[in-house]
Amino acid sequence: MGLTNTPSDLLPGTLELLILKALKPGAKHGYGIVEHLRVASDDVLRIGESALYPALQRLLLNGWVKAEWGTSENNRRARYYTLTAAGRRQLAAEHAEFDRMVSVIQRVLAST
Amino acid sequence: MSALLRRLMYFLDRSRHDADLRDEIEAHRAHRQDALERDGLPSDAAEWASQRAMGNVVLTVEDVRDVWVSRAVDQLWQDIRIAVHGLRKNPVFTLVAIATLALGIGANTALFSIFNGLIMRPLPVRDPSRLALLLDGSWSYPVWAEIRAREHDLFDGAVAWANERFDMSRGGQSAFVDGAHVSGRFFEVLGVSAVRGRVLTPADDGASAPDGPVAVISYRFWRGYFAGADDVIGRRITVQRRAFTIVGVMPPGFFGVDVGRMTDVMLPFAAEPLMRGQESRLASVDSSWLNMIVRRKPGQSLEQANAALRGVQPQIRVATMSGISATRVARYLTDPLTLVDAATGRSSLRSDFERPLVAMIAAVGLLLLVACTNIASLLVARVLARHRELSVRMALGGSRGRLARLLFTESLIVAIAGAALGLVFARWSSALLVRQLSTWESDVSLELALDWRVLGFSVALACASAIVAGVAPALGLRSVAAGEALKEAGRGLAGDRRFKVRGTLVVAQIAMSLMLITAAGLFLRSFASLNQLPLGFVPEPLLIAELDLQASAAPIDQRGPRAERLRAAAAALPSVRSASLSRVPLITGGGWGANRVAIDNGAMPVEDLSANRLWRNATTPGWFDTMGTPLVNGRDFTDADRVGAPLVAIVNRAFVARYQLGQQPIGRTVRIGVSNGERRYEIVGVVGDSAYTEPRDGMMATMYVPLAQIQPLGETVILTINADRSQRAAVEREVAAALTRTDPAIAFVFRTFDQFIDARVTQERLIAMLSSFFGGLALLLAGIGLYGIVAQAVRTRRGEIGLRMALGAQPSGIVRLVFHRVGVLVVAGLTLGLAGSLWAATFLGPLLFQVGARDPVTLTGAAGVLVAAGLLAAWVPARRAARLDPAMVLREG
Repeated sequence: MGLTNTPSDLLPGTLELLILKALKPGAKHGYGIVEHLRVASDDVLRIGESALYPALQRLLLNGWVKAEWGTSENNRRARYYTLTAAGRRQLAAEHAEFDRMVSVIQRVLAST
Repeated sequence: MSALLRRLMYFLDRSRHDADLRDEIEAHRAHRQDALERDGLPSDAAEWASQRAMGNVVLTVEDVRDVWVSRAVDQLWQDIRIAVHGLRKNPVFTLVAIATLALGIGANTALFSIFNGLIMRPLPVRDPSRLALLLDGSWSYPVWAEIRAREHDLFDGAVAWANERFDMSRGGQSAFVDGAHVSGRFFEVLGVSAVRGRVLTPADDGASAPDGPVAVISYRFWRGYFAGADDVIGRRITVQRRAFTIVGVMPPGFFGVDVGRMTDVMLPFAAEPLMRGQESRLASVDSSWLNMIVRRKPGQSLEQANAALRGVQPQIRVATMSGISATRVARYLTDPLTLVDAATGRSSLRSDFERPLVAMIAAVGLLLLVACTNIASLLVARVLARHRELSVRMALGGSRGRLARLLFTESLIVAIAGAALGLVFARWSSALLVRQLSTWESDVSLELALDWRVLGFSVALACASAIVAGVAPALGLRSVAAGEALKEAGRGLAGDRRFKVRGTLVVAQIAMSLMLITAAGLFLRSFASLNQLPLGFVPEPLLIAELDLQASAAPIDQRGPRAERLRAAAAALPSVRSASLSRVPLITGGGWGANRVAIDNGAMPVEDLSANRLWRNATTPGWFDTMGTPLVNGRDFTDADRVGAPLVAIVNRAFVARYQLGQQPIGRTVRIGVSNGERRYEIVGVVGDSAYTEPRDGMMATMYVPLAQIQPLGETVILTINADRSQRAAVEREVAAALTRTDPAIAFVFRTFDQFIDARVTQERLIAMLSSFFGGLALLLAGIGLYGIVAQAVRTRRGEIGLRMALGAQPSGIVRLVFHRVGVLVVAGLTLGLAGSLWAATFLGPLLFQVGARDPVTLTGAAGVLVAAGLLAAWVPARRAARLDPAMVLREG
């Protein structure tokens, strides 16, 4: 199982957006986020630790998520991340911004 | 801001954070291994595969750390770069701001480091917090002997010491150093060990000291007097004409237990009889000349120590009572002995200088505030000048918080640079100030270490300055609205609204300056009135030679004739107009008092210990003439008034008034109570009044007796020489030669009344000097502040002024407009400042002499000075405004 996606393959800020989205249904640990993104993208997005953890720390720094140690479903210690109120707002804002961006890019690509 | 806080939290707890991250990544790997195992891989293969998938953990941890730290540092660095760039674009502003802050912070730190050295610093000895001082100054040696006998029962040891000025010369003019007699276990109890040789021991303080007369010298004295010679141990020094062997050097920084005094030479008490011979005070219960400090036992509170000491007080009293004069017996050692905390040692300077120091620190704190408001005002001016730029930045998305942070960084950089420079200035100026404290009678030497208290103080000042200077500009930002400058498109009437912040600052500045100038005025007037006090004699031509008659093997009863021979030798010099002897010098703060005085057959009163008691002096014939004190009635002493002849006295007018002698004082009798009865003196003359202890005490009732009737003479006698002031150096040389020729064993030292008077007004002189310096500086800063705001206002309103003039306004009208603006600010400032001065008066009162703390003349004068400065500051820009060419201004617009 190799790393297929490095941050530079995604638009800047997209990984953070995806993480926020992954956390929206509820708290997840790092591996859980990676698995959620892999399953949700039909095995396309495979996020490595070297991209995931700096991104999570940026979210922590901005106060969009908070982290707590807990015990995972298979009885291992794991750090669970939860969206904060600010994180929810940020997710909504970035989601809208991303939609706008994508439609703009599509319009540019569609023009002759 | 909260992100900044989280960064800080991260920074404070980095190691835990890193460990968490490593744990987390390991958990990630374990989860992956679990998943692989579920997919059917054997456990060891799953572990290997999951580890391979993990990638470079170290690099990931580094990346994460970058998220937290490097961006914060980067941003800070960026702020600093922008701020420095902004400051460098404005070198004049930057230099003025840094210089004023350096002066403000430096002066504050200088005064605080003196305050710290004098009052706050613990003694450099072992466990100083357990030391306690036996209150009320001086004790006799027999009392010390009693306490020493019980030092281990009551305490963890006790020490006694007596400060002396030791003459180190071998002959002729004295060369004094500060020294002390100390008890044998002085160093042991304090826990101070020698850096060379050994400290004094109880054996040295005994009757048969194994090493003979020995001395321990200070580190400073070793470096200075012996140039730090390695073979200093065993060398001989001459102290009071006796030879002593140096056995040790005290550690650097140890000055004794008297703060402000460097005890250069310490001798055991046993050395005292060697110097004073039969006048030794060791056995005398009447001589109070030493101080005591005890070391409390561990856990022994001050109350317990006091109780322990008071428990044995009756025994101490009884054991030391024999020999006490009958009048003193009733009161002897009846007040409870009292120990007070002595962790910071003892200092005679504290009572004189604590209050002035606090007052000066408050004054210089005000000055610093004025300096900060000036910087704030200048920064606000820059914000307004950059109004357009800032407005555009905001329109482009620069957040107000980020801009405020940028402005704050500017003031912080200025404050840090100012504080750094200020520390240098403080080192220099505090040493200079301490030198000002030294007088002929005491060399003040203070450890001015840059310890944590001083550094903390100046760091706090720098932060406070940055906040005071940085908040106003940030508030000024509020008036900047995004894009407003673009809409305005350049023209328009700038209202006064934007200058509100600066106006408030200027008002505060004027108020604080008024307070400082008022204080300076009060102190100057107080100092002036001290210096104008009448002395009752003419000090200018007078030269004093203090003769030490003890420094000789000659018998004590020969002192009278020896002194007379020395006087005659000096008087015979052609350059000397007259030379006379007296027992005590005037204006040295103390003297020779009489406690029990009666006139004719009046009842003899009990002891009078008030400051207004009767003062005495003993003089030779011609002394009044030498001093320039007029003889008003009767006769001067003559050579016939000697031992065996009837006792006579001359009194001054204050004496006549105080004892109500009326019109005919001549021939009346003064009776002075002595230990074994009383002495009767016939008044033969009346002289004019003169100051005795010090000028501010006023004219004291004084009685003079012939020196020739005093038998035996004390160890020192004062030779007063009247000679041409301009020839003083030559006269000094000639007199010195004549004295040494006449009596090769004599020790003497020259003094002048300038020195005596200076020493009595050190405190006032220092305060007057400092407060005028601070007041002047505050005035200058307020002037600059006022000028700045008026000039700015005029510049901003050029268009409006040009328009008014084009519409027919006269230049005088424009000037009036500007002056009206300034007038409002000045009046508001003066009102506030007046209120502040009246409030501060209660605190200043005790420091003033013959000037009321609410003296209307001084207040009016200070206000006048500020008004003048305000007019000057307004006049320059007003004139510029009145000279505007309206046509040009309108074309420009």
